[in-house]
Amino acid sequence: MSVTYFELSARNAKRQARDYLVYFATVVLAAALLCAFNGLLLSGEVQTLSKSMNMMPLMLGMASAVVVCVFGWLVSYATGFMLSRRSRELGTYLLIGLENKQVARLFFLENLAVGGCALALGLVLGDVLYQALRAILLALFGIPYQFTLALSLPAVALTAVYFALIYLFALGRSRRRIRKMNIHGLIYFEKQNQGAVIRSGKGRRWVFAASVVLAAAGTVLLMSGSGKLGLTGAGCVIVGLYGFFISFASGVPAFFDRRPARKYRGVNLLVFRTLTAKLATMGVLMATISMIFTATLMAEGTGLVLRGLFIGRMTEKACFDLYIGMGEPERDRSIYLDYIEAHIPVEEDVFYQVYNSPDDQFMAYLKETNNYYSFYEQDPILRWSDYAALRSIAGYPPVELGEDQYLVHCISALEKDARGYTRPISPGGVTLELGGVHTEHLLQSGVTGQGHGYILVVPDRAAEGLSVHHLAYAAKTVEPVPYEDFYNLTVLMDQVWENTGRADQINTEASEKDELASQTALTVFPLFYLALALTMTAAAILTIQQLSESERYRRQFALLQKLGMDRRDMARALGRQFFLYYALPAVPPVLIGVPFILNLAKVPEPGVMVGLRSPAAITAFSLALFFLVYGLYILMAYTSLRRNVLPQDR
Amino acid sequence: MLHVQNIEKYYGTKNNVTKALDRVSFTVEDGEFLAIMGASGSGKTTLLNCISTIDTVSAGDILLDGVSVSNLPAAELARFRRERLGFVFQDFNLLDTLTIEENIGLALTLGHGDAGAVQGRVREVAGKLGITDILGKFPYQVSGGQKQRAACARAMVAGQSLLLADEPTGALDSRASKNLLEIMTEMNRSMGATILMVTHDAYSASYAKRVLFLKDGRVFNEILRGNRGRSVFYHEILDVLAALGGDVSDVL
Repeated sequence: MSVTYFELSARNAKRQARDYLVYFATVVLAAALLCAFNGLLLSGEVQTLSKSMNMMPLMLGMASAVVVCVFGWLVSYATGFMLSRRSRELGTYLLIGLENKQVARLFFLENLAVGGCALALGLVLGDVLYQALRAILLALFGIPYQFTLALSLPAVALTAVYFALIYLFALGRSRRRIRKMNIHGLIYFEKQNQGAVIRSGKGRRWVFAASVVLAAAGTVLLMSGSGKLGLTGAGCVIVGLYGFFISFASGVPAFFDRRPARKYRGVNLLVFRTLTAKLATMGVLMATISMIFTATLMAEGTGLVLRGLFIGRMTEKACFDLYIGMGEPERDRSIYLDYIEAHIPVEEDVFYQVYNSPDDQFMAYLKETNNYYSFYEQDPILRWSDYAALRSIAGYPPVELGEDQYLVHCISALEKDARGYTRPISPGGVTLELGGVHTEHLLQSGVTGQGHGYILVVPDRAAEGLSVHHLAYAAKTVEPVPYEDFYNLTVLMDQVWENTGRADQINTEASEKDELASQTALTVFPLFYLALALTMTAAAILTIQQLSESERYRRQFALLQKLGMDRRDMARALGRQFFLYYALPAVPPVLIGVPFILNLAKVPEPGVMVGLRSPAAITAFSLALFFLVYGLYILMAYTSLRRNVLPQDR
Repeated sequence: MLHVQNIEKYYGTKNNVTKALDRVSFTVEDGEFLAIMGASGSGKTTLLNCISTIDTVSAGDILLDGVSVSNLPAAELARFRRERLGFVFQDFNLLDTLTIEENIGLALTLGHGDAGAVQGRVREVAGKLGITDILGKFPYQVSGGQKQRAACARAMVAGQSLLLADEPTGALDSRASKNLLEIMTEMNRSMGATILMVTHDAYSASYAKRVLFLKDGRVFNEILRGNRGRSVFYHEILDVLAALGGDVSDVL
């Protein structure tokens, strides 16, 4: 008996993998994803990349916990779904004399076999994926990648534990269901669902209208920037989505019933009826999927915004190999310079002052035109000779300045306004006209940088007698400043803080790049990991639902062929039906996610989110990423459905 | 109207050929109600499939209103079916996601006709078949007899010239069967519908004006009702079936 059992389970498992290929492929990818990220989580090499990378296991561990729950839901849903679809077959096993517990064991074994195969394939694929992730991570830190095959055994073991949890949970539920079922219940299981295909009612139309309003209000609250309001907004969006999908199915037939001519035009009738019948039975599921897609899009958008923010800030801060801003005008500079002289070989450097202009006329102009905010009280001023030295140290081409001119050096976000400023300035009693505007990165973001967003560059004579805002030092070093030296300098900075209560600023290109890489790895990696797992799960469930209807669609189109429907019309009806089915759960996420991402990308200070990091570009990238993964599932499902469903001519 | 001329149908491979139809010939006149009877495997359904252009003949020809259906190009087949043929199946074959009205109207939308006129035309036919009150219901909400009447309405709503019925009473109880057959007779008599019904039920066949018997793919016999009563015709059918040597279960 046990041999027959095993053979039957193996045969069923094989059939299951073939019938639900998209699901099987998703489970393989899930295993690969878990395995690859477990590899990163447990990698000793990753933690040595940077000091802040010791947070990596925590971040990835938290993400993995969510991902395991999400995949657990997928497997549990798919297993339950397959159980429903195969209830007649399982009922037949009972009919020929198998006991409930034997059938439950059969189902358990075959699912375990499918899970085991997926895990084995996933582990192989996971190793490749791990190498890809490792390569990306090393590239982020600027370390050359070397291929090493071995995936750690603990990572494999952890993935196996996750999988065991996922499958035991899903199969435990199915086992309980089978044990409770009787022959009649199993054989007539499919008929139990058939009664409640279409429901309608006026109440639902009200729910529909209220849901749309609630979701829109929730989206606005999500963008408020306040934690409490944001949470309320998220709640409104969730309730709105469920209300929308539960009530949508009744709204469409009502719309067409009032417009019979439109209903009977072309393939409208078939398309809308098939869709609403499907939605009537899976409204809650559609809402859940739509909610997942919304979360996915937001996670991808947030990841890209954070990455853009980190890059934007890094490029501004990393323009000098070494920069020290000292918050006190009168300062013994030797504390830093002695260390530098002893430990860091320097090719070119400059020690200089940033002055205060006697007034704030340029700042006042910016406040008027650009909603500009600054913590400077007067316009910051830089001497021409210092500016020229800074440009040379940063590697920028030299620029010209006339005797009676001044320059504005600003972030690109202020360039247009700066060029529009026509009034002369008069620092130190010398009247100067605008001689040009430059926008290269010049560390213009901190309190002790080259101003906050802008600085006015004046001939040296015009700076004489001006009060000093702060001191600064910039250097081009022979080698990138090692982390150890950066760390020692920050220790000195802490001493200054303790002794004087004044905050200094130290930036090195190397430390900024290291911080960028760490921040990216700690935030963007987990967010994208989550986003990918969520999209895969939701798209797989939609596809399982769609493909499980293949037989019904095939019968429907065979009948339509007999009734004389053109094959072209059949393809059109199927295509439209298919498009709407997949578009519907994606529309609310786009309507909610796009304003959310656009708004989020506008939050950072001006000048950071520009070019490819502009809000529009980030939104476009987020949508492209989302639809790339989703599109793959749609393509797989459509190819399979079209091949299986549409009849051939005689 | 319909001329079936020496048609043959073979299935299988070179080494294992099954002859499903063997030189079958007959004619159906305009406005006639013809039943085709035979035991399981006699070739009834194959014959119906060939007439309905779902299957092709191996030899011979089928002419409907002078048009040879055997040689119709693939592109023309769909149009031919929706304009000339109406179908009534044993298991109703109504789409369960459409209301009864929409199921009937579907036949009109397939030809991309005037969408605005669909509802009116459906109500007109439904009125004749006594199903107006169930037009807004879904198939799962109505009885088998009502479903089959809806199928009849779908089969004639687009003005199809030949109604092909494949075991139309197969899934109905005796009362619903009687009701349906009376409606089909009415459709034939008052509306001039030409009906070709395949059945192995003698009671159903007794409603026809003429019965053709198939055995092993050949026309075995043919009887006309003429002016005789239906019960007399029914017994005559049973006699032929007994002579045909079909299963008792097929006869009774």
